[in-house]
Parts: sequence; structure tokens; C-alpha cells
Amino acid sequence: MAPAALPARRRLRLPFSPWHLVLIPATIVLIFPFIWLLITSIETPSEALHFPPVLIPHRIDFENYPAALHAAPFGRFFLNSAVVAVTTVVANLVFCSLAGYAFARYRFLGRGLLFGLCMTTLMVPFQVTMIPQYLITKWLGVNLLGWAGLNQIGSLIVPNAATAFGIFFLRQFFRTLPIEYEEAARVDGAHRLTVLWRIVLPLSGPALSTLAALTFVDSWNSFLWPLIAINKTSEMTLPLGLATFQSAHTTEWTLLMAGNVMSLIPMMIIFFAAQRYFVRSVAATGLSGI
Amino acid sequence: MAVAAARELGEESGLRRQRRLGRQASPGKPRRPKAGEQIAAWTFLTPGVALIMLFGVAPVIWSAVMSFQRNNLFSPNTPFVGLANYRQMLHDPIVGQAIEHTIVYTALFVPGTMLVGLFLGVAMNRPLKFISVYRTAAYATIAISTISEALVFIWLFDPSYGIVNYLFSLVHIPQQQFLSSPSEALYVIVIMTIWGWTGFAVVVYLAALQGIPQVLTEAAAIDGAGRWATFRRITLPLLSPASLFLAVWLTINALQLFDEVYFSTSGGPLNSTTVLVYYLYEQAFGGANFNFGYASAIAYFLFIVIIVITAIQFRAGRRFVHYRS
Amino acid sequence: MRRHWLGAAMASALVAFGLAACGTGTPNSTAGGLQIWEGYTGAEAKAFTHLLDVWNKAHPTEKVTYLYVDNDDSLPKLLTAVKGGSQPDIAYVYGSWAPNVAQIPQVVNLTKVVQRPGVNWDDFWVGERDVATVKGEVIGIPALVDNLAVVYNKALFTAAGLQPPSPNWTWNQFVADAKKLTIPAKKQFGTAYVTPGSEDTVWHWEALLWEAGGAILNSSNTKAAFDSPAGLKSLETLRTMAVTDKSMYLDPTDSEYANLFNSGRIGMLVTGPWDLSGFPSVKYGVQIMPSFPGTSGGHQTISGPDNWVIFNNGSKRVAAAEKFLLWMTATPQATYFSLHTGDLPIRKSVEDSPGFLQKMDQALPEVDTFITNLGNVKQARPQIPTYPKVSTILGQMIVSVLLGKSQPQAALANAAQQVNQALASGSN
Repeated sequence: MAPAALPARRRLRLPFSPWHLVLIPATIVLIFPFIWLLITSIETPSEALHFPPVLIPHRIDFENYPAALHAAPFGRFFLNSAVVAVTTVVANLVFCSLAGYAFARYRFLGRGLLFGLCMTTLMVPFQVTMIPQYLITKWLGVNLLGWAGLNQIGSLIVPNAATAFGIFFLRQFFRTLPIEYEEAARVDGAHRLTVLWRIVLPLSGPALSTLAALTFVDSWNSFLWPLIAINKTSEMTLPLGLATFQSAHTTEWTLLMAGNVMSLIPMMIIFFAAQRYFVRSVAATGLSGI
Repeated sequence: MAVAAARELGEESGLRRQRRLGRQASPGKPRRPKAGEQIAAWTFLTPGVALIMLFGVAPVIWSAVMSFQRNNLFSPNTPFVGLANYRQMLHDPIVGQAIEHTIVYTALFVPGTMLVGLFLGVAMNRPLKFISVYRTAAYATIAISTISEALVFIWLFDPSYGIVNYLFSLVHIPQQQFLSSPSEALYVIVIMTIWGWTGFAVVVYLAALQGIPQVLTEAAAIDGAGRWATFRRITLPLLSPASLFLAVWLTINALQLFDEVYFSTSGGPLNSTTVLVYYLYEQAFGGANFNFGYASAIAYFLFIVIIVITAIQFRAGRRFVHYRS
Repeated sequence: MRRHWLGAAMASALVAFGLAACGTGTPNSTAGGLQIWEGYTGAEAKAFTHLLDVWNKAHPTEKVTYLYVDNDDSLPKLLTAVKGGSQPDIAYVYGSWAPNVAQIPQVVNLTKVVQRPGVNWDDFWVGERDVATVKGEVIGIPALVDNLAVVYNKALFTAAGLQPPSPNWTWNQFVADAKKLTIPAKKQFGTAYVTPGSEDTVWHWEALLWEAGGAILNSSNTKAAFDSPAGLKSLETLRTMAVTDKSMYLDPTDSEYANLFNSGRIGMLVTGPWDLSGFPSVKYGVQIMPSFPGTSGGHQTISGPDNWVIFNNGSKRVAAAEKFLLWMTATPQATYFSLHTGDLPIRKSVEDSPGFLQKMDQALPEVDTFITNLGNVKQARPQIPTYPKVSTILGQMIVSVLLGKSQPQAALANAAQQVNQALASGSN
């Protein structure tokens, strides 16, 4: 088939792609709050206490960062947050892949009902379920798994080790994959687990890394549940630590912003690194079939 | 047409393979659930689902029980009062306002975020220079805490000192009261939250766009389809699973809006930004009433609404969503 | 390659679970130390931990450890803990929650405790004692006291050619000054008011209501008493500034006003001593509230004390907690705390100690006006469990008048009707 002729129109030739003209303003709008955060974190307290905020400070004060670190055991908070976040992410990837795949591909009795039941956990606000969840976690810690009880970071991991969000997300994704390869492998005699492991998951790089990044952020920024579950300073996570800069009547803005910036850095690093995995090479899809 | 070509490609390779192995292929015939499949399914499901049952479903059921009690969280006395809490909802004028605000908010926020996310996702699905920077900027909005987000927008939209009114003054649009105005505050929150969720929508759409083989779009170009037609006929339908996911997830979250209202307007001015979850939090903890039974009842009403809307979305999804298989 | 990735993932999941288990060790032990939940930051945190150290050294068998809980979030945390039986031994509780907190069965009744010799219960300000007492029972020991006065920007007053406020000034003068201090071209306002509709909105107005000789509820707390000439006068005063003169900046965020004042954009603020340390860029002065001439209210102000509350975790722990709190709030320790934080003294004897006022003024300029203003606290808000409902209604009333959406007379009548209904239906 002969290619259709291009419309005879003069086209503007720019030295760069016109998409940059869209993306640059969009990026500015998107990262504007970070710029404000960053600038406030290196201002002196008297300039930070201004409204409208001072965007071009007269004096720069990097002291806020060490001051914030020393104000509370931030090293420990950081470690706690990291352990909780990493464990939660890995647990979610494992459990939600298994369950998501089952919901996506297998037919079994009660499939619809079970999926719906899981989805309901996303539909009741946490402010209402937190008290029952607290009581259940306490019971669990006392009766079954000591390390998952209240006041320990285990209690921050176990209730979130699998979420309906992860299952829903991966189920949707798995259903978009062409089923031929899985069927062919089954026909070849592969075990179901092998099919998942060797065929489906390698094709799911973007979805898995997306889920990992989102779960990481959720866990890292989680505030209300750690607030209620943790009564020991040594087990607190980063958001709880940042709250120490805000009392009833006064906020130590410069320290709070410095703390916020430091808290954001790991997430930004993970995003920047992970977004390479969001790109899947065409060859890996195997869809060219040849 | 390119879609049909793709289907042929896929089926052909499967069929070829099957014939090679000497077995007949029968794609499209529904498979009967086999016992082995049931066992496998339940093995795969158990760890994740067990956790969700214990920490998710049990509290949800427990909260239902609480909605039938008079419970002020202070005294241990929590008598059953039947449907009294639900009846109270019917007579509470603020509940009606909260429902209206929640619906208006959701109706604006969900399509808004999806459109912005789709647009930016498509824009970022290109091997441009600096593309990593643009993408990271989009993801960054997911990382920022809602407190910081609220603070920035409060400033941007301040009636006297904010940038938006300043820009308005430059183009002779009259100064607005924004978050101090009962008629405008909710819309400012819509804008604030669209900003906050754009990154998420971009991430989801990017992941989905990566899954669209270039073979298809190239075939369409060869066929002479314009860029817009390719987008509408091929890309969009193939993105429909992601769109369904986003629509469902964004709606579930929009109907439960809380943080941004809590950190910016406290439901005001004059209840104009009071949405259902904010109102129930006020009832439970907000120093207003400590009425936990009532709060649970409101939460359950919202829960039913969410279930119904989600079910409708899934049903619509069956008609409009194309999964490849 | 991918295979190894997944295998590594599963392995690290197991390792991480294991690490979490090892790292956190054994389940909770019933340690002998007392736990106190408080929300002190900055200077308050330093002073508090110093006092804790002093106590712990002198009482090694009755050690006290603290847990930082940001005050605004402490209520959900406290209530959840109470429900789960894991409450602390002592907690810092906002005074406005006192009537409701009193209903928690684990809260210890301190009425006899505060009558012990040497405690000098009457040495605490009357506003504090009123807030710590619910239905005749003392349920807390005062932890903090404050009050409202007027903080003004000296430079802006001079620039507008105005005399700084004098101790016997009136609300007419306040309104006039605010008008002169408002310069739209410079985006400068005479004063500000917080309008989130919460108790912060309400208590600022209640001070004016009391000064105009009015009352919030009747003496038995069964009916509204604020829809009176005093209520009208106080509401009208605010409305004149917000709607007519446009000299009042309305802040729905409850935090911008302070930064605006510090940026030199607001002439006068009615606020408390906690804000003073947030004004490093402004030379400010403090004056007591103006009065309404011809009324009985005088220069009355309002105070918002907070309490330490003890929870019953066993008689030994209660006895230790009582001992600790009585020591913590005794004159020497209270003096130390005030001097090192700028917080107002919780006892009159602290204010009277020689050199105290001068030292406080050196640390925090003009705070002595707030301290002597404590003598102007004559009453407290109604200590009833339904007060939060009343507060919500009043908050809406004030905000709608300030936004120009309703007239004071009608707003008062409407609010009174709602309040009467709320009081009649009682608490939950």
C-alpha cells in the first residue's frame, strides 16, 4: 500500500520538539511547591516567618539541616521508615502479584465476591476503621506474632503487607497481557507458578515498578496509623518525627521544611532510578511474533 | 484496520505454535473451571487475601456494628440504638450539603485529573531530551505531603497576596476571594487536588502506554491514519484498562476527600468545603461532638454510595474496556 | 536476569521480615517507668526535658519518660489508646476537652489530692481552676495558662500618626485606629481575625462579649444568653471592621495572620503570648484589651488553660504520677519553666517572686503585660460536654457576619435558637 501523500502545508521547523513548549511550563507548575519548600528550608527563621513567602532570601542559612537532624533522633526515624517501606513494598509485590494473577486468570468459585470484598476495604475511610484495626493489631501482637504488635515497626508493616489497591492494579494490568503465552506454556506442561514467574512477571516490569514506587511513597508518608500505633520514640517513623516541629501554637518552619526536604530525597532517588524500568523494550514484549 | 492486523499476528503465532506441537488450538471457547485451577487459585490468593480480611474487612464490618451504637469514645457505655444514627443523618442539614459538595467535587476532579494525566502522559511518552527530568517532576507531586501542598496553594490563592490574583490583575480580571469565598473555595480545592494527583495519573498512563507495541501505531501510520485518528482509534481503546482503573481509583479517593480540606479550609467558609469524610471526622474527633456512632453511620452511607458507583463503573467497563487476549 | 530479580525479591522479603522481628525484639514489657504524653517543641521541650532529668535523678524508682504527641492529633491517639487499654499515665489535654475527658472512667479524680497541704490549690489562677474542674470534681492539674491581649506594630502606629494604645482605651478607639492603619494601596490592614469557624474564631469574640457585660449561657447552662444587647454590641464592633471599614484581614487558615503581622502588613492583633516569639522582624508593643465604656465588663479577657490528666494504670503508678505532677507544678519548677520558655506563670506566687517580671521581659519583650493581664481573667467558658456543639454554632454565626452574609441581630437570634436545641437534646 502506497503511503498517503503528506498534506501540502508549510510546517514550522523548530530546533527542538514542540512538546518541550508544553512540558516546560507544566513542569514548572508541578515542581513549584518543591522550590518553595527548598527555599524556605535555607532561610533564616525571621525571613521564613513572612507572608507572602520570601522567595529570594537575603540571607541563606544551611544551619537548619543539622539543627533539624539534631532536634530529634532522625537517623533512627529514617531507618525505621526505610525498613518499613522496603519490607512493605516487597511484601506487596509478592502477595499482590500472586493474588492479582489469580483474580485475573483463574476461574474459581466466589471469584467475583472475593474481589468485591477486597475492594470494600478501599471504600471506608481510615478515620473510622482505625480503632478496630488498632484493637486487632494489639490482639495479634499479644496472641500470635509478638513482633507485629503495637509499639513496634512490625505493626506498621503487617497491616499493609497486602492491599486491595495492589491487587486491583495488578489484576487490571495482567488482563492486558495476551494470554497466548501463558496458555502455550501450560500446554507445554509448566506449573502455574512457573508461568507467573517466568512469563507474566518479566512482561510486567512497568506495572511492578509503578506499584513499587506508589507503595513506597504511601508507606513513607504514612502518618495517622503510625501516630496511633507507636508509643515509643525509638520506633517512630519520619512523618511522626517531622510532626515534632509543629506544636499547638507555633511551627518551626525552617526546621520543618528542612526535615521535609530530607524526607523527600529518598523518594526522588527511587523515582529517578525506577523510571528507567518503566520503559519496556519492544523486544521483551515478544509481540512481534517473529 | 491496524487492530485487525495485530490480532492476526497474535493469533497466527499462537496457532502456529499449537500446530507445531500437534494439538488443536481453540481460542475463544470459555474454559471450564477445573479442580486443579481452584486449588491453584486459592493457594495464590491466600496470603494476600488473608491479610486483607484480617486488617481490612474485619474493621469494615466492625465499623458497621459501631454505626448502630451510641458511642462517644469517652465512656465505655455504648448502647445499641438501632437506626437512630441513620435517622439523624436524614435530619441533619449539613449532611445534605456535604453530599452535594462531595458529588460536585468528584464530578470535577476525576475527569479533570484523567485528562491532565492523559495529556501529560502522552507528552512524556517520547524519547525527548530531558524526558527523565519531566517524568521525575510528575512523579514528584505524588511524593509531596498534603500539608505542604495545602500551604502552597493557600499562598498562591490568597486574595490579597497570592500570585493568582496578581496575574488576574495583570489581565484585568477582578480580584477573587478564593478560599475565603463560600462560592469559590470548593473549586480551589478541585484545582489543588488535580495538581496533587496529576503525577499518579501520569505514572499509570505512562505504564500503560509503554505496553502498547509500536507495531500497531506504525501500522496505522502506514495505513495513512492521521495522528489524532491513530490516537482515538488505537491508543485510547488500548488505554481503556488503565482508564478504568484510574476512573475507579480516583472516584473512590475523591468521594473520601479529607486531607486537603483539613489542612486548608477546615470545611469552611461556612461549610462550603465540608465533604462527607471531613464532616464525619469532625463528628468523631474534631472537638465538635465526639459522636463516633454517628460518624460510623455517615461512613457507611458513603460506603454504600461508593460501592454502587464503582459497580456502575465496572459494568460500563465491560462495554468500553478492551483487554487483549 | 529477571528470574534472579524475582528470586532476590522474595529472599529479601524474608530477610526483611526477619530483620524487623530481630530489630524489635520481645513484645512490650511492663516497665516500671511512667509515661507522659505531651506536645512540647522548641524551648518548651528543652525546659520540660530538663525538669524531667532533675526528677529522674532524684527519683530513680519512679522514672518518667515522655512521648511527643503533636497536640492537635493527641485526641484520636488518646481515645484509641483508651479504647485499647493502652493509655499513658499522664497526658497533656486541651482545656476545651475537659468536660468530655472527665467521662473517661480511667481518669483519676484529683479533688482530694489538690487539697493536700502544701499544694496551695488557690495559688493557681481562677481561670485554670475552673477549667480543671468538671461538675465539682477536679480532673486535672493546670499545665498552661494564657490570655488574649492586643499586640500592635509600633512603627505602623507612628507612621499613621497615632498614639500607641493606653491601658484605658476603648473599642471605639480600636476601631478608629484600625481604620487609620488600613492602607489598601500597600495591602496593609488595621487588624486581623481568624475565620476557620473553629473555637479559635469563637473565643476571640467571647472576650468581647464578656467585656460588653454579656454571658454565653445562663447560669445553669441550659439556655443561650448571648443574644442580648451585649452580644449585639460585640458582634457589631467586629462587623464594622470586617464589612464596613474593611480594616480587618480575614484569615481562614489560622496561621497566616501571624506571618502577615511579622511582615509588617497588620497594625494590631488580638492574640496571646504564644505568638510573640513569631515576630522577630517587628518592634511590637502589648496592651490589654480595650473596654466598652458604660458596661460592667471592664478590660476583661479570656484564658485558655490546658491540663495534665492522670490515667489509672494501677494504684502505685497513680500515686507516683500524682507526686510527679505536684512537684512539676510547684512554684520553683513552674518558675523555671516560665523563665525558660516565656510561657505565662501558672501560679500567682510565681508572678510574685522577686525579679520575675523583669527577667521574663528580658527574655520575651512585653510579655509582662500578658502576665499582669492574668488578673483580668474573671470567668471561664461553660464546662459542659455540649460546649463543642455550642462552639460550632457560634463559629458559623461569627464567620457569616464577618463575611457579610448575615446581619448581627438575625445571626444572634438564629444561633440562639440552634444552641437552645443543642442544649436541650443534651450530650450523646
